[in-house]
Amino acid sequence: MPELTFKNLSKSFGSHVVIDAFNATIEDGEFLVLLGPSGCGKSTLLRMIAGLSEITSGELLFDGDRANDWHPRQRGVAFVFQSYALYPHMTVRANIAFPLVMDAFKKWYHLPIVNAVARRRLMKSPDIAARTENIARQLELDSLLDRRPASLSGGQRQRVALARALVRNPSLYLLDEPLSNLDAKLRTQMRSEISALHHKVGKTFVYVTHDQVEAMTMATRIIVMNKGEVQQIDTPEGIYNNPANTFVARFVGAPPMNLVPVTRKGRRLATSNAQAWNHDGELPDGERLIFGVRPEKLQFLARGQGRMPAQVAVVERLGAETVIGCRLVSDEHGGTTNLVENDLVFVRISGNPRTKINEQCSLDYRAEDVVWFDAHTQTRIPVRAAAPALV
Amino acid sequence: MTSTIALSIFRYVLIAALVAFAGFPIYWMASTALSANSELYSTGQVPWPQLQKLPELISAMAGVPIGRWLFNTFLIACGTTVLSLLLGSLAGYALSRFRFRGRGLVGFLLFMTQVVPEALILVPLYAMFITLGLLNNLMGLVLANVGFSLPVAAFILKSAMDSIPYEIEESAIIDNCPRFGILSMIVLPLIMPSVAAAAVIAFFAGWNEFLFASTFLMDRSLWPTSVGLASFIGQYETPLSAVMGAALLFSVPAIVFFLLIQRQIVAGLTAGAVKG
Amino acid sequence: MTPGSSKWLSGRGKAIAPYVFILPPLAYLAVFMFWPLARQMWLSLTDTRLTNPNGGSFVGLENYQWLFDDPEFYTTLNVTVLYAAVTVVLGVALGTISALAINRPFPGRPLARAIMLFGWAVPNVAASLIWLWMYNERSGVFNDMLASLGLDRVSWLTSTHMAFSSIVAVTVWQVAPFVMLVVLAALQSVPDEVREAARVDGADALSVFRAVTLPHILPSLQLVSLLVAVWSIRRFDIIYLLTGGGPIGSTSTLVVKIRQTAFESHELGVASAYGAIGLILALLVAFVHFVTDRRRQKWMAQ
Repeated sequence: MPELTFKNLSKSFGSHVVIDAFNATIEDGEFLVLLGPSGCGKSTLLRMIAGLSEITSGELLFDGDRANDWHPRQRGVAFVFQSYALYPHMTVRANIAFPLVMDAFKKWYHLPIVNAVARRRLMKSPDIAARTENIARQLELDSLLDRRPASLSGGQRQRVALARALVRNPSLYLLDEPLSNLDAKLRTQMRSEISALHHKVGKTFVYVTHDQVEAMTMATRIIVMNKGEVQQIDTPEGIYNNPANTFVARFVGAPPMNLVPVTRKGRRLATSNAQAWNHDGELPDGERLIFGVRPEKLQFLARGQGRMPAQVAVVERLGAETVIGCRLVSDEHGGTTNLVENDLVFVRISGNPRTKINEQCSLDYRAEDVVWFDAHTQTRIPVRAAAPALV
Repeated sequence: MTSTIALSIFRYVLIAALVAFAGFPIYWMASTALSANSELYSTGQVPWPQLQKLPELISAMAGVPIGRWLFNTFLIACGTTVLSLLLGSLAGYALSRFRFRGRGLVGFLLFMTQVVPEALILVPLYAMFITLGLLNNLMGLVLANVGFSLPVAAFILKSAMDSIPYEIEESAIIDNCPRFGILSMIVLPLIMPSVAAAAVIAFFAGWNEFLFASTFLMDRSLWPTSVGLASFIGQYETPLSAVMGAALLFSVPAIVFFLLIQRQIVAGLTAGAVKG
Repeated sequence: MTPGSSKWLSGRGKAIAPYVFILPPLAYLAVFMFWPLARQMWLSLTDTRLTNPNGGSFVGLENYQWLFDDPEFYTTLNVTVLYAAVTVVLGVALGTISALAINRPFPGRPLARAIMLFGWAVPNVAASLIWLWMYNERSGVFNDMLASLGLDRVSWLTSTHMAFSSIVAVTVWQVAPFVMLVVLAALQSVPDEVREAARVDGADALSVFRAVTLPHILPSLQLVSLLVAVWSIRRFDIIYLLTGGGPIGSTSTLVVKIRQTAFESHELGVASAYGAIGLILALLVAFVHFVTDRRRQKWMAQ
C-alpha cells in the first residue's frame, strides 16, 4: 500500500487551468515517473499527492479512501524537494531526526523556549538516536552528522534530504526533480543510488523529472505530460517504441525521433519537395501521414543504395558512435525538404566513419521500424506489422 | 586640481561642523555632569570635562533614585519587547505566508498605528485603565506601549520572513510540524538579525516613552527614568550635575544599541511605512 | 510556489490557520488602540470632563464648532503645519547633506558617523534636559557664547520670536541622523559606473548630483519626508518639556494642545476634537505621500 488513484483530478489557479481531468492509477511498489517539460503540471500533481497543494476538483484516492482533505502527515508520504529544503540552522543529525522528533512532540512542546529543551532531550533518546545513525550510515552520512547543510556539497545535501525522507519509514516516496541541481556525473551516480534505494525499500516511488534519460533508466512506468494533459502512460519500452503521439515521440530519445510529413499515394510516399519512394510493408489508411523512425534504426548508405537520397549537413562524433544529420534531397529538383520542427534527419551509427559534410548519401529503413502518425491529429496510427515471409 | 583640493577642504570643514552640531549636546551633557553648581550658575561653566570631579558626581547622584528609575525603565522596556515580539511575529507570519481575506485591511490597520499620535488615545486609555484597574501599574504602561511597537515588529519580521524559501516550511509540514512550531523552531531562528532589530526598536520605544508613563503612573516608586528626569525641570534642589549624570546614564544604553544595529533599525522603520 | 495556495489541510481546520495567527495581535490592537481611538472620536462629540471621564452627554459637533470659532485653534493648526513643514525641509536637507558628505571614505569616518547618530539615539527626555540647559537664558552655553562675543543674550525658549525656532533646532538635531541613514543606504545603490561616466563626460559635481544621484535617492527622500512629517505631527515630549506649548501658544502643536485641554482645562470633549483634527492631518499627509508616490512610479515607468 498505498495504491494511488486519480479520478478526474483538476487543478486551477483562479481561471488558469494547470491540470485537466487527470486519470491514472499508481500501483503499489512502482517507480512511477512523471515526465514532461517545464510547466506541464507534473510538480503540481506531485504536490497534490503530498497534500501541499489543494485539489480543485476530482478525487485522489489512497487505497480507495478519498484523501483530498487529508493532512500530509496522515498520508504517510515523504517528499524530497528539488532544492532539498534542508533546515539551514540545524545540523545534519537534527535534520534527519526532525520527523522523528516531531512525531514525539506534544502540543505544548512547541512554545519558544520549551521546544529547544524538548528537542535536545528527544534527540538524545536511544530510539531516535539509533534510527538516525542507522539511516545516516546507510547513506554514508555518518561522518557528516554534526555539520550544517551550508558546509555540504550538492550530492551530500541530496543524501541528507533522502535520509530525512527515509527515516520516517513512509509508505510513499515523492521526489520532485531531486537531481536537477547536480552536475552530470553526480546525477548518474545518484540515479543508480535512488534506484537501489527503491529496490531495497520496496515502497512506491513517484518521481518528477524533465530529463528523459532519468525517466527511461529508473521508471517501471512513465506518465508523460504536456500542458497539464496526460500524453501517455506506459512502460519505458512502450513509450520508446510505441509513442502515443508526436510529442512523446520527440520528447523521449536523443537525438529525437525523425518525423517526416509525407503524402501517400498507394504505396508511394512523397515529401513536400517531391522526393518520393516506395514503401514495403503495411501502410495505414489516410493520405496525410507523418513518417517516424528513430535515428538508430535508419541505415546510412552511399548514394543510390537507399530509397531516400540525402546530403550530409552535420556530423557529431561521440567516440563510440556518430550522429549524422542529413537533408533529404529530391532527385528531380535538387531542393531540400522541410521537416517537422527541424531541417535534418538524424542517423545514428556505431563507429567513426570518414563521412564529410556535403557528402552525397542515401538513407534506408525497415518497414517494421516505422511509426506512423496522423498528420492532422499528431497521434499514432497503429499498423499491423508485416507478416514475416514464410518462404 | 585646485578645485578638487578646495572641494576636499570644504568637505572636511562641513563634516567637522556636522559632527560638532551632532555631538556637542552630548559632550555638554558630560561636561555639565562634571561641574560644580557654582561653576554652572555663577562663574561660568568650564568648557572641557573635568574628570577629577567624578567622585563628587557620584556622591551627588546618590540623592537621585536613578537605580530605581532605571530598574523600572528596564522592566517597562523588557515587557514592551517581549509582548511586541510575541504578537508581532504572529502578525508578521500571517501577513507573510497566508493569503487571507482582509489581508490588505490588516496591513492598513497596522500602518495606521504609526500615524496615530499617542496623545490622541491618551485620554480614552486613561479612562479605560481606571475601569480595568491598570492605572498606576507598570503592566498597564506596557500594554499601552505595545500598541505602537507591535506593528513595527510585524513589518520588520514580515519582510524578513518573505525572504525565507517556502519549501523549507513545506518540508516541515510534511515532517508533521504544526504551523506554530514552524514559526518558533524554523522561521524565527532563521531571521534572528531582524528579530534583534525588532527587539531593539521595541525595547527603546519602551525605554524612551514619556507621555503614557507620566500620565498613568502616580507612585514615585514606579517612575521610569524618563518621568524621573522630567521631574527635575523647574526645580533647583537637585544639583544639575547629578541630573545630567542621570541623563547620561539614561542615554548611554540607547546610544550604544542604536550604533550597533543602526542598519537594521532603519530598514525596519522604512519597511513599516510602506504598505503591505 | 505561492505560499497562500497551501492551506492547513485537515478537513474543517482548512483555512483557519491564518485567522488563528492574526487574531491575537488584531484583538490586542482592537482593545488598546482602535477602541480608544473610536472612543476618542465619540468623546469629541460629548461634553465630558476629566473629573468624570465616563459621564458626559452627547453634544454633536458643538466642540468642533467651538474650535472653529476659537482663534487659538487656528494658531495651533498653523503652528503644527509650519512645524511639520519646516522640520521636514530642514531635517531632510541636513540629513541629505550629511549623507553626501560622509558617503565617501575618509580617516575617522566610523567615529564621525557614530557621533552623527547621537541626536536620534538619545532619549527624548534626556535631550530635552540638555537642550533646556543649553538654552538657559542666564547660564546656558549658547548665551554664554553670545555674551563673550559681545552680543545680547537671547530668550531662546521664552520669547515668542525664538521659541519656535529653538524647538525646530532640537527637532532637526534629532531627525537629521535618521534621514542621513536612509539616504546613505539609498546612495549605496547608485551605480558607480553611471556616476563615473557622467564625470568623464565633463559634468561637474552639481550636475552629476542632479542627473544621476538625485533620481536614485528620490524615493527614499519621499519616504523619509513622510515619516518626518508624521513624526512631527505626533511629537510631544520635546515640545512639552522645553516650552510647554508657550509662550502664548507659539509652540503649541495639536498634540500639546490635547494634553493641555485635557489635563489642565479638563475639557475632554474639546481635547478629543483637537485629537481628531490631528489624526485627520496625519492621514492627509500619508495620503499625499501615497498619491505622489504612485504618480512618481507611473512617471518612472515611462
